[in-house]
Amino acid sequence: MTYKLTGNDPLLGTPLNAVIRLADNAWIPFDEANRDYQEYLEWLAEGNTPEPADE
Amino acid sequence: MSLTQIKQSNISSDFSPSYRNLIINGAMQIAQRGTSTTGVTSAGYFACDRFYYYVDSIGTWTVEQSTDAPDGFGNSLKLSCTTADASPAVGDRAILQHRIEGQFLQHLAKGTTSAKKVTLSFWMKSNKTGNMQVNLYDNDNDRFVSGTVTVNASATWEKKTITFVGDTVSGYDNDNAASLLIEWWIDSGTTWTSGTAPTTWQANSAGDRNAGGTLALADSTSNYVNITGVQLEVGESATEFEHRPYGTELSLCQRYYYDPLTYRWLYAITTSDSGNRRGHSDYPVTMRATPTVTPTWGQYTSGTLGLQFSSTQGVTFYSDSVPAGSYTTVIFTAEAEL
Repeated sequence: MTYKLTGNDPLLGTPLNAVIRLADNAWIPFDEANRDYQEYLEWLAEGNTPEPADE
Repeated sequence: MSLTQIKQSNISSDFSPSYRNLIINGAMQIAQRGTSTTGVTSAGYFACDRFYYYVDSIGTWTVEQSTDAPDGFGNSLKLSCTTADASPAVGDRAILQHRIEGQFLQHLAKGTTSAKKVTLSFWMKSNKTGNMQVNLYDNDNDRFVSGTVTVNASATWEKKTITFVGDTVSGYDNDNAASLLIEWWIDSGTTWTSGTAPTTWQANSAGDRNAGGTLALADSTSNYVNITGVQLEVGESATEFEHRPYGTELSLCQRYYYDPLTYRWLYAITTSDSGNRRGHSDYPVTMRATPTVTPTWGQYTSGTLGLQFSSTQGVTFYSDSVPAGSYTTVIFTAEAEL
């Protein structure tokens, strides 16, 4: 499983507050009640690093 | 006749839903993800909404919404073994689960001296006869209690009922996380079978989790089990299944998963810059948590597509690279499962 950060809204410049799960292009919100986000946090805790956001 | 003389069994559930059933989609009517998934080898939600099939290295399965059902029901959830594993490794396991938020369980008074008994009832059918262990697992406190049901006759619909005692030791968290997991053990290795199935609440012990199970449904590709009419209610007796309206049941499911089954348009937000498009979709009900949204293009299939805003109430999509004159639509699913 790999992830990519989302950066900022291209028009407004505000943070998008999500990470993309590259396997299925799912947008996972930074919500600790979301089980996919919990899984992402575990993945980070294992020492993994997400890909940077698109420029 | 005074109200105290009316027996529960005399109250029809057909026309006046009481929401006494804590299970969502117990009649397996709702299948937003599709009616069948083949090749299941790992955990996930498949076919019938709200039922999670936890598979850990034991067999390959087809999970489907079946039209085989006992009288009074139109559907069941069917698990069919398509690649057998007759000698599972010690830690392997397959469990059908239903997960319930803690905030929906506070009336059970778990963790107090007033802790209530609950009764689980369901219909099942399997080609194999034998015992299946069914647990109530407290995910907040790592405790569980179990019951065992027996498939007496092959390929025959049978109704099963288990009454579980209350737990006075520790309560469910009052939040939107998974507190109670109902577990139907399909098969497992010996890590989970070496102990004794407890009929009173106890601290989790791996060897007790499936100590009462003998069905071993992963041992042959002939094996299957159908389940429907699942009801969990307060008290010591199983009342008639509460048939809620289809729309009501769908709404309850959409708190956890939503597939709009149609496109959403992305519109240009200024007349001078048609490349910047936005489109919004409200969810039909407030979702349990901010969902994971999986967007894909509809009509237009290249360029940036993402989420500008997302909440438990709805989602706004963006694209910033659409050529002038292009129609742009998006399709998506939103998941906030436990």
